[in-house]
Amino acid sequence: MMSKKKKMTYYPGCSSQGSGRHLDESIRAILPDLGVDVVDIDDWNCCGASVGNIGGGPLPNLALTGRNLALAQEQGNQDIVTGCAACYLNTHGGNEKIKADVKKRRDVNDALGEAGLSYDYDLDVHHVMEVIVNDIGMEEVEKQATNKLKGLKVAGWVGCQTVRPFAGTETGGKYATYEDPTFLDEITEACGAEVTDFAPKTNCCGGSVAVMKPEKTLHLMKTILDAAVESGADVVSTPCPLCQTNLEMYQDAINKEFGTNYNMPVVFPSQLIAVAMGKDKEKDAGLQRQTIRSKKLEDMAK
Amino acid sequence: MTVPMPTSSRKYDLNFARWVRDNVAGGDKMNMCMQCGTCSGSCPIGTEMEDGPRKLFMMIRAGMKEEVLSSNSVWECTSCYRCVVRCPRGVPVTYLMQGLAALASKEGYAPKVENNYFSRYFWKSVELTGKTDERLVPTAYFFSFGLIEGIKRSLGNLKIAFNMAKAGRMHIGLPHRIKDTKGLKAILAKAAQIEDQKS
Repeated sequence: MMSKKKKMTYYPGCSSQGSGRHLDESIRAILPDLGVDVVDIDDWNCCGASVGNIGGGPLPNLALTGRNLALAQEQGNQDIVTGCAACYLNTHGGNEKIKADVKKRRDVNDALGEAGLSYDYDLDVHHVMEVIVNDIGMEEVEKQATNKLKGLKVAGWVGCQTVRPFAGTETGGKYATYEDPTFLDEITEACGAEVTDFAPKTNCCGGSVAVMKPEKTLHLMKTILDAAVESGADVVSTPCPLCQTNLEMYQDAINKEFGTNYNMPVVFPSQLIAVAMGKDKEKDAGLQRQTIRSKKLEDMAK
Repeated sequence: MTVPMPTSSRKYDLNFARWVRDNVAGGDKMNMCMQCGTCSGSCPIGTEMEDGPRKLFMMIRAGMKEEVLSSNSVWECTSCYRCVVRCPRGVPVTYLMQGLAALASKEGYAPKVENNYFSRYFWKSVELTGKTDERLVPTAYFFSFGLIEGIKRSLGNLKIAFNMAKAGRMHIGLPHRIKDTKGLKAILAKAAQIEDQKS
């Protein structure tokens, strides 16, 4: 696949220092071996997530992305890669907005000038899943996944913002469809695990509304858990840090509300890859960071 | 739930649709809406909305500014973008909902809306430290409902917090900060100033 090593600038995002540490750790563990070297954006800031637009207003929210892009540009002209769905949505979307709209470009640069920064809008922003599909290639993942996860049944839950609204666009890498993306199941198979028949693969967990008003979104997560359990899955795999945290931490509340008895582990595909590549189960795969642990997966890990 | 119906005594702002078109992100595409309802039908949380996006767009066209900006619908949006990718007419529905929420917040139509509180504490964290603090933003948000409710909600989340801390997924100590908080503050202040000059 990749003839020589690719260099990219990495945007970890706020969750990498808290709820999504295991996403960050597993991405850093697998990318170099798969042919992508990453260097962090120096002094990166928050992307604004789903509510920055409301809390700060549209232009200040875009300026957050502008600052990250300007800092990345100072480190060279490598494209940016991020593993967080919200970071990707804001940074990729903001970047394309700045590229397309002369007025926005001028306004953002006027604001950036206050800190001696500027952005010349020639970088591209990618999602880690897009890089795995388009740059690394599933064959390479399969080749390096020598510690096959035989017998592990995985429900692939893509969620929303990883693929919507950009995964089907030219600039988004055209690597997945919106209604029935297949890359997550392909990763599961490349790791030697078994894909379960799981329909709500692009269902919404409630996102930040689940954090604010869980009572309004518990039924959304229950639908996902119902289908995962019915499909016979040992674990749910999702690329999004907020999906992972929401689906994991609200299972108690769901059990209480609906009288269910769910205890379903929710992991990242990058953790599955790390385990399948024979990496360290804690340092690289971050399996100790699950609040609901999968003994089956941990027994397969080195 | 009260359904806003046009009556002869109701106030209409006939410039509202034009204003949305010119000032809300994606507003220029709102004219493309043919009222098919794919957006409302695709919405994972549509049942929680007083008015789905389809109806909201018609209300904008009718000039029902007060009702649009007071509608809970703009606040329930989870930003899943399913309506955006499904709209047969290319209307960027989610962006419009977010833009309308930002407008409602700015114009004081949502003083007691939960998401508005949350958004403000979120932004405070970003302005002060350059990052989202996953502990302080929700906690400040819980206490925005009063001391008793704050304690109740915090206690309700104690087990989650404990589990996250045990798994090393809750940062312990002072909030993470970027190095150049001063520079970021200046950038955000300037951006806010540019935006204010335009409206």
